[in-house]
Amino acid sequence: MRDIDYKDKGGVLNPLKNLSFFGRKAVTVPLEPRPASANYRGFHLNDWETCIGCSTCQKVCDNAAITMVRIPDLPEDPVQGIRNLRPAIDYGRCCWCALCVDLCPTGSISLSREYVHTCLDSELDSYFVLPDAKGIHGTPYPKGWAKSEDADLVALERERMEELEPAERIGHFQEIVAGYDSNQAIIEASRCVQCGMCFDACPTHMNAPEYIRAIWKGDPEQAVREIYRTNPFAHTCGRVCTHRCEDACSVGHRGTPIAIRWLKRYAMDAVDHERVKAIAAEGKARFLSGKRVAVVGAGPAGLTAAFDLVKQGHEVTVLEAQAKAGGMVRYGIPDYRMPPDRIDRDVDVITSLGVKIQYQTRVGKDVTMAELERDYDAVILTIGLWMGRSTRIPGSDSPRVKRAVTLLRDVADQVKVSIPASVVVIGGGNVAMDVARTVARLQKQTFGAVKVTVTALEDLEHFLADPQEIKEAREEGIEILDARGPQEILFKPRKYEVDKVHGLRTWRVLSIFDDQGRFAPRYDEADEQIHEGEMVIEAIGQAAEVDLLGEDLTERLEWMRGRLKVDGQGRTNLPWLWAAGDMVRGPDVVSAVADGHRVAASINTYLSIQEDAA
Amino acid sequence: MIEGAVSSYEKIKAKTSLRDILDVACSFEASARDFYTDLIPKVGKNVRWVVEELAAEEQEHLDLLSGLAGREDIAEQIKAEVRTPATDSRFSDCVHLPDLGPSPDDQAVLQYAMGREQIAMEHYRSLAESTAPGPIHDLFSFLAGEETKHKTELEKVYYEVVHSGGV
Amino acid sequence: MRPENYEAQRQPPSHEYELNIGPNHPGIEGNYAFKLRLHGDTVLEGKADAGYLHRGFEKLMEGRLWIQNLAITPRICVPDPVPMEVSYVLAVEELCGLEVPERAQWLRVLQLELSRIAAHLFTFGGHAATTGMYSTMFWGMADRDLVLDLFEELTGGRVYHIYNIPGGVRRDIPDGFLDRVKRTLDYLESRLPDYDNLLFTNQVFVQRAKGVGTMSREQALEWGVTGPNLRATGLKFDVRRDDPYLVYEDLEFEIPSEEAGDAWARTLVRRKELVESIRIARQVVAALPKIRGTIRCPIPNPLAWSVPAGSAYTRVESSKGELAWYVVSNGGERPYRTHVRGPSQMHAVQVLEKLSVGARLEDIAQTMFSLDACPPEVDR
Repeated sequence: MRDIDYKDKGGVLNPLKNLSFFGRKAVTVPLEPRPASANYRGFHLNDWETCIGCSTCQKVCDNAAITMVRIPDLPEDPVQGIRNLRPAIDYGRCCWCALCVDLCPTGSISLSREYVHTCLDSELDSYFVLPDAKGIHGTPYPKGWAKSEDADLVALERERMEELEPAERIGHFQEIVAGYDSNQAIIEASRCVQCGMCFDACPTHMNAPEYIRAIWKGDPEQAVREIYRTNPFAHTCGRVCTHRCEDACSVGHRGTPIAIRWLKRYAMDAVDHERVKAIAAEGKARFLSGKRVAVVGAGPAGLTAAFDLVKQGHEVTVLEAQAKAGGMVRYGIPDYRMPPDRIDRDVDVITSLGVKIQYQTRVGKDVTMAELERDYDAVILTIGLWMGRSTRIPGSDSPRVKRAVTLLRDVADQVKVSIPASVVVIGGGNVAMDVARTVARLQKQTFGAVKVTVTALEDLEHFLADPQEIKEAREEGIEILDARGPQEILFKPRKYEVDKVHGLRTWRVLSIFDDQGRFAPRYDEADEQIHEGEMVIEAIGQAAEVDLLGEDLTERLEWMRGRLKVDGQGRTNLPWLWAAGDMVRGPDVVSAVADGHRVAASINTYLSIQEDAA
Repeated sequence: MIEGAVSSYEKIKAKTSLRDILDVACSFEASARDFYTDLIPKVGKNVRWVVEELAAEEQEHLDLLSGLAGREDIAEQIKAEVRTPATDSRFSDCVHLPDLGPSPDDQAVLQYAMGREQIAMEHYRSLAESTAPGPIHDLFSFLAGEETKHKTELEKVYYEVVHSGGV
Repeated sequence: MRPENYEAQRQPPSHEYELNIGPNHPGIEGNYAFKLRLHGDTVLEGKADAGYLHRGFEKLMEGRLWIQNLAITPRICVPDPVPMEVSYVLAVEELCGLEVPERAQWLRVLQLELSRIAAHLFTFGGHAATTGMYSTMFWGMADRDLVLDLFEELTGGRVYHIYNIPGGVRRDIPDGFLDRVKRTLDYLESRLPDYDNLLFTNQVFVQRAKGVGTMSREQALEWGVTGPNLRATGLKFDVRRDDPYLVYEDLEFEIPSEEAGDAWARTLVRRKELVESIRIARQVVAALPKIRGTIRCPIPNPLAWSVPAGSAYTRVESSKGELAWYVVSNGGERPYRTHVRGPSQMHAVQVLEKLSVGARLEDIAQTMFSLDACPPEVDR
């Protein structure tokens, strides 16, 4: 370090040193505005196309400077996870910290490289700005502080869940995914930005942000409480829900959505079953209304309605044709996705509240609808979609051509099903995948090898099955052929009493949908294939078995394009009859649960009015 | 009714003026409408909508064709003599016509109706293909186009009904 | 507006009078007042009068998420904002047990030393101005702006950087940034002879500053004096050396000190520290390209980040002395209590009050600047 010689008084000529300044260039600063540095945190820019209105920026704003403003012209779609809200900034409050940028799930917000905004007194409200991509003054200053990998505060990667490898899972029906342990669950839950897009998208509007937060705080009991506020099929939905929440999740726009379904599953598995029952019973009415409600079908819709109605003090009897409750969840979904003991738990919670289920009671045979109308104050029809549709191509009436729903039910019921060494499945939805993977397991057990061919009309892009299902099916050795139109079942030369199936003949589908996205298949007849298989399983669609209504009731009821006509509350045109679930909404567990709540609320209102009138 | 369709095809082949062709086409639609109308009370109420829609649809076709026949501006052309070519009808085997029993279900009715539209479409198309460009060719093409549209509509309904959700 | 029961008190004749310096006065850094009782131009008593800038930050922080408080911290002491940021995040990191990546630690050191340079340039200017030498003030401010340009590039903000985040820093350096740092450091170093000519060897200044506001080492320790003010009494105490944080252990630098304990000695210590800070910054510039890796360890989602219960006291050496946050968490999503241990609170209140007794009126402003007290930090 050079010591500073302050003692040096200098000489007489010392001041002349400063003459050197005459030779130096003056320091000047240009007056023109210049863009700030590449990272500058200036005024907000917001790309409205990318912004989904999730309001995370508003939530993290330290100064409450952000107000979400509804823009009626913008699209709003809860299913896609898009709100027509956009952030408006009050620059009287903003401190330009850019946390809004760093926590923005989509990356739509950035800050510009513009320094200055001034205004006259009369324009003071110009400090309240609804930014778009053009910036505060409409002059296109470039982006400054924007989303970067370094500064991104959104955790984009999902916590991995352990699952069985294809080779380990194919020989049996054990559940494939392991579930999160508490540590994994907390890490996964902590990725949530609590925007509530999931709540909007969920058919039954589960309080997902709340239960995720409870899990995050290490309180699974509270999570269970939040879950039971809207969904008594908690174990079921924790495993096989169609998770629209995850499709709408704002984190999913750039990363993997929060594993909301697995988190629900974690909470349900983490809390002791007896404790779950106690939590589910919270808020149960301490009186009996004296009203009796009959529910036809113990599936998700019927039991959800029963759960609600029992909690409201009504007496509920569920009539179930099968030996066990759960409906399609039990009889349609294979055990490796939905272990039966978890359905037992869901059902046990519901029955523990006082719901009575009469098993092996088939309405239409053991008891008629007319009797139900006579004996109960209200009747709910939740009979699902149990009739498998057939392609009705030539040969499809053979006994070796099966319907997927029938086969899955037999497997679930542990009826002996003889599966040949090679099978062809027609269909490209989740049921097709379920039946193909079930057959593959049975084949593996019997023959030690898998030979299943799935043929679907749709091309892979338009498959109705979950991509995950398709991937896993392929991993298990199932051949999936897309865009194949079934033409005919082929038989072996007749040697036996019964015709032996040889396989399925298909044509290539050139295009399945027209330009409006509706079904209009075109075939390439030259591309013909024969898929060999000793059994053909049709998994193309399902319908409700409405015969139980009887001719008279069928005539009295109003119908809507083949489905029972119901209003927004699930009411049919008859005052005592409601309908819910797959039979009116189409197949989906969580929609059925939502529907169950809807009819229960409607019935409760109806019964209360009756009460008042009496 | 399939037989009816084939015979009307035979009739069309034999006819010599556009008016006659339109007349046969009209009667073809009318008979279809009557068939569906008769079927309405025979099916369950839950599938009745399919048959009702089909009957209404056929009535619309009929109205369209009769309107065409009655139009002044093409009256001259309609009267013109034409020679209809002989064509072989090609029946697509991807459409399988089931026997409609006494009380068919929605799928059976739809498959039947699709088959019917398919036949009509094929017939008009082969008639159009084998006529030289001109008003008759245009009329056949138009009729074939109409039947194609009907069939496409039916296929959409079929997919929505039978492949319901498809899951 | 006089209360009804007011009666003018008769005072014996006196030569004493009162004088308020501030809250609006060029000799006071920021909104701060100093009440003097004088006899002639000799100060009999000085009374600090703070509160004009009280923003209630400590209380405010109790109501905000851990991460939201980042935006508040640099606002406590505007001329030298970085130590505030760094010491707050160090406290949170200590409570959470976060391992800060090495690269982030080096970046923090670079930011801290650049901030020290900027703060010292600011203070020289102010000190010079209180002795009537305004050129130094203009130069100091202009050269400080060159450092602010670097901050703008690195952090996105010129003064309120909000660059540190528990777990690391928010951005890596932009392309070519180190070259520009090097160039600015070279330029600042080349300016030092000019500053020396203008101020530090300028007899006008030397004569004015020597012997003003003198305190002994014992007094300094008793009064809680830290930083350059303490080192000007001959005690070489520096948190960077005596309680090292970040990567200061790996860096070579001297702790300058002086013996006189007066305004002159304090300013001279700062002048020497400027050289040391340039030296440290150069070491960082040389080392950074070799230190790869991330700039932030994974941190929880800030929206509901619960910091484990406990308390942390993390001190750093700011340009003005020892600066620390005392942070208490009860395991919640927001701090239970935060407290700033700022050097200016001692320097601007008790030290200044004591040093002003017997001083001459014209030296009061100089004394305050030579203590480098920052009123916004007193009030916070």
